[in-house]
Amino acid sequence: MAVASPPVRPARRFARQGAVLACATFALVASVAASMSLGAVDVPLGTVIDALRGTAEEGPLKEIVTQLRLPRTVSAIFVGAGLGVAGALLQGALANPLASPDVIGVTGGSAFGAMLVLLAFPGSIALLPVGALAFGLLASAIVFGIAWTGVNRGGIQRLILAGIAISALFGAGTMTLMTAYPDRVQSAVFWMAGGITTTGWEDMRAVWPYFAAGFAITLAMPRALDRLSLGDDVAASLGSRPAVIRLVAGLAAALLAASAAAIAGLLTFIGLVIPHLVRMAGGTSRHGFVIPASAVAGAALLVTGDTLARVILAPRELPVGPFMVVLGVPLFLWLLRRQ
Amino acid sequence: MSAPFLEARDVRVTIGGTPILHGADLSASAGELVAVVGPNGAGKSTLARAAAGLQSIAGGTVTWNGEDVKRLRGRALARTRAFVPQRARVPDGVTVLEAVRIGRSPHVRPLQRLVAADHEAVDRAMERAGVAAFAGRQLATLSGGELQRVQIAVGLAQETPVLIADEPTSALDLGATAGLARLLRDLVEHHGMAVVLVVHDLALAAAVADTVVVVSEGRTVATGPPADVLTSERLAEVWHVDAALDATGGRTALHVDWLCGTSPGGSPPH
Repeated sequence: MAVASPPVRPARRFARQGAVLACATFALVASVAASMSLGAVDVPLGTVIDALRGTAEEGPLKEIVTQLRLPRTVSAIFVGAGLGVAGALLQGALANPLASPDVIGVTGGSAFGAMLVLLAFPGSIALLPVGALAFGLLASAIVFGIAWTGVNRGGIQRLILAGIAISALFGAGTMTLMTAYPDRVQSAVFWMAGGITTTGWEDMRAVWPYFAAGFAITLAMPRALDRLSLGDDVAASLGSRPAVIRLVAGLAAALLAASAAAIAGLLTFIGLVIPHLVRMAGGTSRHGFVIPASAVAGAALLVTGDTLARVILAPRELPVGPFMVVLGVPLFLWLLRRQ
Repeated sequence: MSAPFLEARDVRVTIGGTPILHGADLSASAGELVAVVGPNGAGKSTLARAAAGLQSIAGGTVTWNGEDVKRLRGRALARTRAFVPQRARVPDGVTVLEAVRIGRSPHVRPLQRLVAADHEAVDRAMERAGVAAFAGRQLATLSGGELQRVQIAVGLAQETPVLIADEPTSALDLGATAGLARLLRDLVEHHGMAVVLVVHDLALAAAVADTVVVVSEGRTVATGPPADVLTSERLAEVWHVDAALDATGGRTALHVDWLCGTSPGGSPPH
């Protein structure tokens, strides 16, 4: 036997991951401060803090902070973090860098659910988040149902093909609704583009348990997804059941992505790009790093995008979805070139 | 040699309605290297996977230290045997050290971190497999031989009494194959492990194995020391070639009359 020499401990990699996490956290804190303070009316940070602590004077500024900006900022944090985590879970579970919530049918289902409310039942607009959530979960349940029955169940290819088929089905439903109610389509465009609206706590109140369930399941996933990253056989050798890991990760991703769609419409870009960004910046695919970093970075990106979209042409608001793509793509391409 | 740690008896496996194994046997004891050989499609890999609990069986029994494999679940099974697949996935952004740490996960409780004993086990596994020198490198940058050693290090981090490797040398060059053979032999001789090696190369099997198991058409047709089992008659019967094994002074060779094989449609072995 060779004489034992101490193996290299790549401390620098951990330092780099820590730095990425610290940067993302700083970006999140800064963007939250900006989101609370900036907008059509600028509120000094001191007043924001006083309002949050309940020590501010009664008046319009306090109202703006507690009734409008706080719910909007908290929603953006949850949606951004949820989409980032959903993307990280799916890219890990499906061993596919192109995976995003679109793949398991959530996006197509949520879009159909939202259009159903917006176009067919415009009188019940309060049901919009519930419709998006319910149909997003329904679509992914059908995808999982197809992928988890029969021979070779739980395989990656089965799941992705089932997702494409079910997405197409719900996409056809959405198109049918849009052609049936062409005069109402305009009201749906803003939802399609994606963005946070100022509706107080109402949407979050309906959706938070699903967010909470998604995040809670995610806590148990990093090590299982690491095992899966070495392939199904190695994961099985290590005592895991690959199909079960994929099912549970997919369930958590579906909960998070459907909840996000219920609140903010279609912001698919975050789920696809944030995990890549985080992996490239951190130099590792370890899920113990990628998942929490995707949560923080996703939240930071959405809060920043939402704030800028509000501020740049204030009091007009730019559509957040397209605006964020414009914000994120140059950063993504820059990292891609360096890789 | 002690009583067999792994015993697979009369194993039957059907995949998608097609019977793959119908009466295959395999056993392995501590300090024994068992080579599973046979023609393409004979069911070698399926037998190894069934023994490892990765493939459900339609009949027969597989026991680990007397316990039925069907009753061993998850972490208990992962601490009993390690399975090194033929070609594992090579993910981007994962270093050798990270991969071997993943191999340690059956010993780490959910939501807990690796403790000092785990780090020591990881270091030991990397040292034994000869991958410690490039622990910080990304898997995607390694050669085929280095990758295969990392796969074995992942298995060794499980600290199991038995390692099952499915054709680990099939994509390796001569030097890397010899290196891997020495590594597996070292595990058996100096660390008391049992190794089950699924392998195509009969000369290699004869050189490294204590026991050779010949699988043909879904059945185990012979088990025993290489020289007793890999006779010219059996090579003709199972592989349909005119060949002879030459094992002298630690060197092995298979002398094959390449162009004068017997007809592949000969009578099936029993």
